[in-house]
Amino acid sequence: MATVIGGIGTSHAPTIGVAWDRGQQKEPMWAPLFDGYVPARQWLDEVRPDLFLIVYNDHVNQFFFDAYPTFALGVGATHAQADEGWGKRALPDLPGDPDFAWHLARSLVNDEFDPTICQEMALDHGVLSFLPLLTDTDWKVPVVPLAVNVIQHPIPTPRRLYRLGSALGRAIASYPKDRRIVVFGTGGLTHQLHGTKFGTKNAAWDNEFMDRLETEPAGLSELTTQDYMERGGTEGVEMIMWLAMRGALGKSVKRVHRNYTAPMTTGYGLLVLET
Amino acid sequence: MDDVISGAYVFTVERSTRGYALNKMANSLSSPSNRTTFQSDEAGYMRGLGCSDEEIELVRRRDWKGMMEHGASIYLLLKIGAAVGVPLPEIGAHTAGLTLAEYQARKAS
Repeated sequence: MATVIGGIGTSHAPTIGVAWDRGQQKEPMWAPLFDGYVPARQWLDEVRPDLFLIVYNDHVNQFFFDAYPTFALGVGATHAQADEGWGKRALPDLPGDPDFAWHLARSLVNDEFDPTICQEMALDHGVLSFLPLLTDTDWKVPVVPLAVNVIQHPIPTPRRLYRLGSALGRAIASYPKDRRIVVFGTGGLTHQLHGTKFGTKNAAWDNEFMDRLETEPAGLSELTTQDYMERGGTEGVEMIMWLAMRGALGKSVKRVHRNYTAPMTTGYGLLVLET
Repeated sequence: MDDVISGAYVFTVERSTRGYALNKMANSLSSPSNRTTFQSDEAGYMRGLGCSDEEIELVRRRDWKGMMEHGASIYLLLKIGAAVGVPLPEIGAHTAGLTLAEYQARKAS
């Protein structure tokens, strides 16, 4: 039987990928970020997961507004890398897990969540910016990606994401094969990429969010989309993906690791929770 | 929604509808060969994809703020920026009504 062994909340950003590709991990500006991932990677090495279920958002790289899905699930055997406009990075395609992904599709639909099913789903920095910080890039652990629209409003509510997480937990619990699964929620933390408040971050809210995600996530899920945008920026609303991760873990969790740094325009958070 | 999120262009369905041609053009720049074609003749490339004279002019002037007001998504401005060699800080500062130097000075203060 499959089990959720833990969850990881992490920011994503193109700049993380650029810094990683350039080997800037030890530079003063970047070291607090990259060093922060080392304990998370050690934890992954210890708990030996054999599947990553990643709740993330696409940045208009796989999907366009001709047909923009609210939820989309990647069921392919591999996931290509999207060219975001700067050319592709030197990373191999990611392995998927079609058998689990189709199980997840059936379970979610029965549970009244209805993702668009994608046999091809190219992944952007929403997954590929942080993943090399956590595993070797020969990608031994397969990835099942679940994309959420947080770009084109109306977007799903925070509560919907939290409930989606519970549905992910039920889907995992009903998968008959032995799998040790880590659920990711990735996005945020606070950032505002345009307008008069361009570049504004809110470290106090970022840290409050990480505190409460651990201890009282239901309260965070009752906030509105507008609350998230006012506190964390219109792009910072990506934080709601962490609620799906947390919802998949069940009532009580043990914190393994946490890190926060904000060298650029985004608050970069990392939280590792064990069930 | 902009009224409550002051100074931001929340990407609503209305914006997405109005900015559709410009966003679609920008999205096409995910392909290396399209980037090359665009770089050699921006106006001709845009016209071929159904962009209006107004949209062509906004891109020609590198008027990122104007493009946002027109209905562009910030993520698609980044694709245009990638094709013309303008990074996020410069685009973001422009949408705030600042030059890059003014933005950096504000950030440092």
